[in-house]
Amino acid sequence: MASVSSPVRTQSGFLKLVKSPLTARILFPVMVLAVWYLIYYTIDSRIFPTPQKVVQFMWEEITLTSGVTYGSIKTNLYGQFAISLGRLAIGFAISVALGTVIGLAMGLSKSVDAFFHDWVMAILAMPALVWALFLGLVFGFGSLGPILTVILAGIPFVIVNVREGVRNTPKELFDMARSFSVPQQRITRQVLLPSLMPFFFAAMRYAFSIGWKGLVIAEVFASDRGAGWTIKFWYDAHRAHGVIGFALFFVFFALVLEKLVFERLSKKAFKWRPQVGGVEMVEESFLIDQTIGGAGENPVTIEGGIRG
Amino acid sequence: MAEISVKNLHKEFGVGEDRVVALENVNMHLEGHVFVSVVGPSGCGKSTLLNILSGIETPSSGQVSITQDARDANPGYVFQAARLLPWRSVIDNLMFVQKERDDEARARCQRYLDMVQLGDKADKYPGELSGGMQQRVGIARAFSIEPDVLFMDEPFSHLDAITARSLRRELHDMWIETRKTVLFVTHDVGEAVELSNRILVFAKGGKLKDDINIDLPFPRDGADEAVALAKAHVLKKFEDLDLVAT
Repeated sequence: MASVSSPVRTQSGFLKLVKSPLTARILFPVMVLAVWYLIYYTIDSRIFPTPQKVVQFMWEEITLTSGVTYGSIKTNLYGQFAISLGRLAIGFAISVALGTVIGLAMGLSKSVDAFFHDWVMAILAMPALVWALFLGLVFGFGSLGPILTVILAGIPFVIVNVREGVRNTPKELFDMARSFSVPQQRITRQVLLPSLMPFFFAAMRYAFSIGWKGLVIAEVFASDRGAGWTIKFWYDAHRAHGVIGFALFFVFFALVLEKLVFERLSKKAFKWRPQVGGVEMVEESFLIDQTIGGAGENPVTIEGGIRG
Repeated sequence: MAEISVKNLHKEFGVGEDRVVALENVNMHLEGHVFVSVVGPSGCGKSTLLNILSGIETPSSGQVSITQDARDANPGYVFQAARLLPWRSVIDNLMFVQKERDDEARARCQRYLDMVQLGDKADKYPGELSGGMQQRVGIARAFSIEPDVLFMDEPFSHLDAITARSLRRELHDMWIETRKTVLFVTHDVGEAVELSNRILVFAKGGKLKDDINIDLPFPRDGADEAVALAKAHVLKKFEDLDLVAT
């Protein structure tokens, strides 16, 4: 009888290093920088900046050494972000609160569901850019346009997720509670609400990440201040390092908020779920683009482990 | 002493062409310290019977009544899957079903966790336990409200043979110690013969076909000759009643 044996391969230290995930992680920014320099040296543009120029710009903005203040309100990086964060906070709070109420009602009642369904899908399909342009025309360059854009961009995701949560409540746990004659109030607090939490968290993350993206667009087209507007300021000034620098600030803020707020909240709320890995969820929630989510009926719930 | 009585019980689901009869004219009576198994093929209405008795479902017609020593006491229920709240610790899962959630109840819950050998796992979440341990928590939960009557719906069918065997022994000891009235649904005739005083045989369409007394001393070992004979006897009845799937 012939036996098949494969030769035992021992990996050299070099191969191991090349194949390690850490190397792959470092390799990506290195390649981005290489391509960046390649473009810089091949195209003849006085506007395209070097990476060090962008970094230098960002550093001067952070340390306020450039002394540049922006727009009619004459404020710096921090002032502009404070304005944007204020708008985001208001829009986010309203979209989560209102979306939760509508989502609960849609999940519980078929007629309420029929009433809202088509319009939620329509709002879901509408690009944030259209809201921004339209609301800018209607309300002028105040805070109302950006706040409403944040609400309209985020609310369909809250509604759809909360509705799904209500529809996916664990019937077998309710039956269990009933067979033990557990009082209704205790069932609501200990079965219904916890079972909704994963969907509610998914809803909040969508409302936040999509609202934040909607806000930039709204501030570019329908505002005269805020971090999004500042990106347009540098665009109008033909300073690409300013555009890239502020865009990076935007991304950075989003990631920091996600890490500091949502990840902590989620760790606290889901400590019963041993396998929750925080880092992946941060990346995931920013991968979801409006156009993908726009398919509507079946949104990916980031935390939705309960859905079968 | 607890007493369960079922009279002319009828249950059907759906209407028109979708109409399914789950239980048809079922009559039974059991009382005191007995362990009664309900056996039959899938879809013979075994679980429906328990669900009606425990109030999860209502009968289409007929009467069921449960009389217990403690007035308005609740029967304990052990499900096929453990049905624990995953976001609550083990001890809180037991506390969830207590009428009064005081220190006394907590001590009682801890005592029943000790009884199923999970006393040291009280603060764990169900997700951190194995399937067998979760089912043990489910059993402790049913006992912890100290009911006179216990309903069990194929509680060991999801478990591996060795875990199921040790849990059967534990359950038997607890039944002896606490002197409950147990109604136990299973499709495993061997399990029914090892545990019960009495076996009710159901056929498809929800008809109660036979009522068999098993007068053998406890504890019973499946390998024991008398137990094996009893098992063969019940299986023969199954064949006579044409209940065996072909």
